[in-house]
Amino acid sequence: MSTIILILMAVGAALVSLKKDSLKTKKAFGGAKKMMGSMLSDIVGVLLLIGLVLTLISPEIIEKTIGGESGIFAVIISALIGTITLIPAFVAFPLIGSLRDSGAGIMTLTAFLTTLTMVGFVTFPLEAKTFGKKFAIVRNSLSFGFAIGIAVIVGQVMR
Amino acid sequence: MKWLSKNKILSLALLGYMILGLYNFEMLGLALKTSKYYFIEMLQILPAVFILTSLLQVWVPTTTIMKYFGDGSGVKGYLISFLIGSLSAGPIYAAFPVCKTLLKKGASIRNVVIILSAWAVVKVPMLINEIKFMGVSYMVIRWILTVAAFLVMAILMEKILKMVELPQDQGLKIDYKRCIMCKACVRKYPDVFGVLKDKIVIHEEDNFNEQLMSICPVGAITT
Repeated sequence: MSTIILILMAVGAALVSLKKDSLKTKKAFGGAKKMMGSMLSDIVGVLLLIGLVLTLISPEIIEKTIGGESGIFAVIISALIGTITLIPAFVAFPLIGSLRDSGAGIMTLTAFLTTLTMVGFVTFPLEAKTFGKKFAIVRNSLSFGFAIGIAVIVGQVMR
Repeated sequence: MKWLSKNKILSLALLGYMILGLYNFEMLGLALKTSKYYFIEMLQILPAVFILTSLLQVWVPTTTIMKYFGDGSGVKGYLISFLIGSLSAGPIYAAFPVCKTLLKKGASIRNVVIILSAWAVVKVPMLINEIKFMGVSYMVIRWILTVAAFLVMAILMEKILKMVELPQDQGLKIDYKRCIMCKACVRKYPDVFGVLKDKIVIHEEDNFNEQLMSICPVGAITT
């Protein structure tokens, strides 16, 4: 259902754009192609890893380590993993969706997802260079704290 | 080697599959089958996600929204910051130069934090993707909490930092003793360099990169 909405939105937007300005639309399509090309390797990589992880690690182990009952320690570990990983956010959704289906807890997955997008370990030097060290430290630590908070609340609500 | 470092995640996955294949061929098939399911799911949405993102970028370029930013005060400032973040494409580090430009124009820390957070979390195609794999209620709850969190965070950060002490800009300078007025820099980067009263001047200093320096044949562009 959401897939159909998304595709309809894209087709509709493309048609309107094409009618208004075909040159701009062409540019947009070129940009889309370029974006896809630059991310394709990461996307394929993550999707392959999903298959690997789900095959090698049994649902029982997943549930035991990062399941709903795994506690705050697992949440913090997941948040840390999210902090140091740099994968495109939209491949993170199939990843956490697949882990949830195998028994992972909402709380741990949300912690991972939120720090993945909001906290950047790899991008930290760049951020410090742009805004100064203090700004980067405060922003990243606050984001990390809030990510844990968000994860705990989502975990409680979605249970 | 270059390929490996460029495709780290893919290399890691392929290595894993190779080892698994040697160890247990049956499991390799199983892993591929699981991946295939997610491939098909992603193939259905990826082109749409990229086209939407790209269309947004062409029709509503970040620079256009930035024009409406003004002094960025009040609710309007929040709103525009939110729009800059959520309508732009790219990972969070693509937001850094945009925010720096706005800071130089007098944007507050609050708005910069909102831009950075919205840029990271609030993207329309992304939200639909989240619904697809995690369900509507999950997306809505997480979204509301995240937006609330970054509003609080924006205010907190302004309290803590008072103002951003931007790192000393390694701004470019022209060494007029060396400059021979060949105007190579003006031709190549008319946005950055200009001529004023028979002298080369620098209009924009956002780019502190080597590229700009190397354009000068006599090396008169220095930091």
